Amino acid sequence: MATATYKAGRATAVTAQKHKFGSPLRKSQRVAGYVFIAPTFVLFLGFVLWPILYTAYLSLTSWGGFGAPRFVNFDNYSRMLSDPIARRAMIITLVLTGVTTALLTFFGLVTAVLVNAVWPKVGVLVRTILFIPGIVSFVVSAVLWKLIYDPNIGTLNRVLGAVGMDSLQHPWLADQKTVLPAIVVVTVWGGIGFTMLIFYAGLQGIDPSLYEAAAVDGANTVQQFRHITVPSLRVVTGLVVSLGLLNGFKAFDVIFVMTGGGPNHASEVLGTYLYSLAFGSTSGSIPQLGYASAFSVVTMILCTLAVIAQLWLTRRADR
Amino acid sequence: MSETTARRPWIGKSFASFVLLPFCVLMAFPFVWMLLTSLRDQNTIFNGPLIPRRFTGAAYGDAWTSTEFPLHFWNSVWITSVTVIGVLVFATLSGYAFAKLEFPFRNTLFVLLLTTLMMPSTALIIPLYLELKSLGLLDSQTGLLVLYISGSAPFAMFLMRAFFQTLPDELIEAARVDGGSEFTIFRRVILPLTRPGIATVVIFQFLSTWNEFLIANTVLRNTDSLPLQPVLFTLMGQYSTNWPALTAGLTLSVVPVVIVYVRMQRQFVAGMMLGAVKN
Repeated sequence: MATATYKAGRATAVTAQKHKFGSPLRKSQRVAGYVFIAPTFVLFLGFVLWPILYTAYLSLTSWGGFGAPRFVNFDNYSRMLSDPIARRAMIITLVLTGVTTALLTFFGLVTAVLVNAVWPKVGVLVRTILFIPGIVSFVVSAVLWKLIYDPNIGTLNRVLGAVGMDSLQHPWLADQKTVLPAIVVVTVWGGIGFTMLIFYAGLQGIDPSLYEAAAVDGANTVQQFRHITVPSLRVVTGLVVSLGLLNGFKAFDVIFVMTGGGPNHASEVLGTYLYSLAFGSTSGSIPQLGYASAFSVVTMILCTLAVIAQLWLTRRADR
Repeated sequence: MSETTARRPWIGKSFASFVLLPFCVLMAFPFVWMLLTSLRDQNTIFNGPLIPRRFTGAAYGDAWTSTEFPLHFWNSVWITSVTVIGVLVFATLSGYAFAKLEFPFRNTLFVLLLTTLMMPSTALIIPLYLELKSLGLLDSQTGLLVLYISGSAPFAMFLMRAFFQTLPDELIEAARVDGGSEFTIFRRVILPLTRPGIATVVIFQFLSTWNEFLIANTVLRNTDSLPLQPVLFTLMGQYSTNWPALTAGLTLSVVPVVIVYVRMQRQFVAGMMLGAVKN
């Protein structure tokens, strides 16, 4: 009630002032508004919106970078469907994204609940440590893990040898079977701190009186978790899931540095494949800018879907 | 917090610590290992014990001198500083306008900026490369700076707008009555009140620009102008067996990030949360 009256009062005050001072003030505001947004907006038009439209156009052409692009309609997209590497990259992107998102959500929630339960000082320490992998660059973490996974002198194999599990020693990144799990470990390692933090903020936002009331009614810890914690975290979970999807769909740095998409395309994702098509690190042939642009468009569509999914999850939670 | 744990909370707390602390050790292990490796003798990486018997800083000297590390380090410092300042200027101005000024099509323009906020650089790298090429800005730090600032300004604007919205309108109205121009009001009245927001944008932008790899690695081919991340990538091939020097390079590249994170952790975390939740 109080806020409503306050708001109404403020609204009348503002309109009154607008009438009192008339158009000159509003004109100066209008001019200032456009001048203030101009630098950001011009850069946005030139280096965000235009590239999006341009790559959408390029995806309908065949172009090696010289001369004029040749319009080919949707050929690049149908080629994508029949190209086995493209199909594989698509599947690997979706699988990696799904698995990392699920793992991040699970571990993020569990660690957040534990950090929330522990003594405050321990909590701060744990949060600090868990967050550090997320602030170093993907290049640093990828190089670091590449050394750890090294088949000959990598720490992982040496530790396995030291504890007598020699049979598990493995060329982790060179084997088609283990390369994807190895990448998932790196991604989850890097993302857990941030996910935990989002969940932690969500937990802090839950009204403690809910738990007190539930305890009075005789609900045990598990019941409280299921009926208070989980429903209260729905919006936050939507956020974590959609961020996980976005990061999965745009994955590039870690894979590019650790495997370059190999061995034999076993860790090829949309990002690395479009990069090698356009900037030709593997093929050594003419860049296929039109075909590569089709992958850009697919990536953009996937990212847009992730955002829509989040909006949808949030709205459903509001009801 | 059922009745049992409420009466004896230390049981739950001990259990949580018991699970969390080993997990933290595991999470921190790669960094501990990185430091240990950078401090050992080159000839002990194949068969020496995990914790070296003798510590030496020789690898840091190697990494610093033989790879023109200082040059790339300063490239990173320079590129990051200019980007942070540029993004901050553009984002505070436009964030303020979208939060507090009335002008036609304000919401349309805002939504337009918002819808493309999540477009990843992976998807835009081809047109951006071609665009710089046709502008003659390929292989120049200017071109890279233009891409960095234009790519980050909309998100920073979004963050700043959220901060500006928390300020009361009456403040601005009062300043207008006192006869300040819109720019004076923005600079003298509003900006000093948004220090926390500015700190957030600075930290966030510092980290993401310092760590950016894909664009820098694509649009810069001239080795002398490269920032650190692409150099670390090539270092991996160059030093494929000299692990102490390689990990020393990695450690040096991480130092500024860790300093900023540790010193400004609170603003950083607050800002990240705001950015994430406001999405």
